[in-house]
Amino acid sequence: MSKAREIRLSEEVVRAIEAHLVELSAGSVEEYVEAVLRERLRREGHLASYSPEEEREITRRLRDLGYLD
Amino acid sequence: MRKLALIGLDCADPVLLAELLPGLPTLRELAASGSFARLRSVDPPITIPAWMCMMTGKDPGELGVYGFRNRKDTSYAGLGVASSASFSAPAVWDLLGERGLRSILIGVPGTYPPKPVKGILVSCFLAPSTEVAFTYPATLREKVKALAGEYLFDAREFRTEDKARLVEEVVAMTKRRFALVRGLVSTEPWDFLAAVEIGPDRMHHAFFAHHDPRHPKHDPASPFRDALREYYQLLDQEIAALLSDLPSRTRVLVVSDHGVQRLEGGIALNEWLIRAGYLALKADSLEPGTRLGDLVREGLVDWSRTIAWGEGGYYGRIFLNVAGREPEGAIPSSEYEIVRTKLARELAAIPDEEGRPIGTRVLFPEEIYREVRGIAPDLLVYFGDLRFRSIGTVGWGRIHLRENDTGPDDANHAPYGILIDYPSEQKGGDRSILEVKDLILAHFDKEAS
Repeated sequence: MSKAREIRLSEEVVRAIEAHLVELSAGSVEEYVEAVLRERLRREGHLASYSPEEEREITRRLRDLGYLD
Repeated sequence: MRKLALIGLDCADPVLLAELLPGLPTLRELAASGSFARLRSVDPPITIPAWMCMMTGKDPGELGVYGFRNRKDTSYAGLGVASSASFSAPAVWDLLGERGLRSILIGVPGTYPPKPVKGILVSCFLAPSTEVAFTYPATLREKVKALAGEYLFDAREFRTEDKARLVEEVVAMTKRRFALVRGLVSTEPWDFLAAVEIGPDRMHHAFFAHHDPRHPKHDPASPFRDALREYYQLLDQEIAALLSDLPSRTRVLVVSDHGVQRLEGGIALNEWLIRAGYLALKADSLEPGTRLGDLVREGLVDWSRTIAWGEGGYYGRIFLNVAGREPEGAIPSSEYEIVRTKLARELAAIPDEEGRPIGTRVLFPEEIYREVRGIAPDLLVYFGDLRFRSIGTVGWGRIHLRENDTGPDDANHAPYGILIDYPSEQKGGDRSILEVKDLILAHFDKEAS
């Protein structure tokens, strides 16, 4: 996990998340916000699913497994 | 509300399973008391995209995902590994979540990086390691460790002749996965479970020749001739233990994404394209096994004289070098169909070493998909209807290869997987992998009414 920085959310949003943590399957407000933002950023192409090193390693494994050559 | 548990066995094949069923009491009972159907996979019948096709009800063209690696753009080197971000269509668990139903998802290929779900998610073998965030919620990883110890996404160092170690590895992986599944279904709230075990696929690729007497590499004296059978017995025992942890009225689906067949050899796709005048390189002598992608990056493909190039793997993908689409396109767009049709005909006619036809099928994306999104291959090639691997590497000096270019491999994929539905009033027949999502939704619709 990369280093963290603090940001501010409105009281209204935090309360809404806190009130529904169990329903949202999250252990904390931070965990939920991080997961939702990561998913959104990946979907819009602003955040990579893999680092370059991870993608090289996954590609190597997929070759090893025979899916790629 | 009756729960539904989907147990995924990657690569489980209807013919192989029918052969093994007499020694598998749990699966035999599920099939006999429920239904046992062949499940037609998508084209290509490959883990990615097949599992996500099953979970979304969308074909590869609709998803715009044609394999583990896809063209990100129309450049020659722009390939990217598929991830959960590649799949924008809602999966069945997203739709169930909108209805307030909770899911437990474990090992479903195409779920890394984990997306938020209503429920919990442990992602698949495409996770780089257990050091990254591989679960939703992120804190679930501690529970995974507590339940399964060192969690194994996949068999490590798969291409090996040390078969004894590989069996131990796959068995350990499977036991830990089922320990995790049992632990989570017993302690977490859920309505829908989807748990996929990748082990059968790994065992098929490593041990199919040891099992199948018709395989060209079969050795009846092999010490591993029963490895596949014994692994299925382990699976059967693990499934029995899991079922004992589920509420008695739980509906159970045992499914696979594709089947298996013996691998009889390989066709060097790019070697053939070079010989047939479709692909031109700037290098004269190459080491056997040179990757075309490396030559592309080194500027050693003469694009001005290249009509087409290929990607290898369990099936072949052909890309045409089209003016106005590729950076140095050599085919006028007005001649695209003429060239593609001629190439497809010639690929289909490639014979075996003895000059005999091998029954290659060449597929046109727009004819097999309801929609073609992203950048699809121009042609999909099933050499020998997938009895032959597509070898993408070059420098071999010949078209026909006996061995896989990435290491020992006994098997290729087959178009039919399995669907065991228990309990079910419907018997037999063939079903489509694209029906499974609606089958699951219909179950919960019925339960809610």
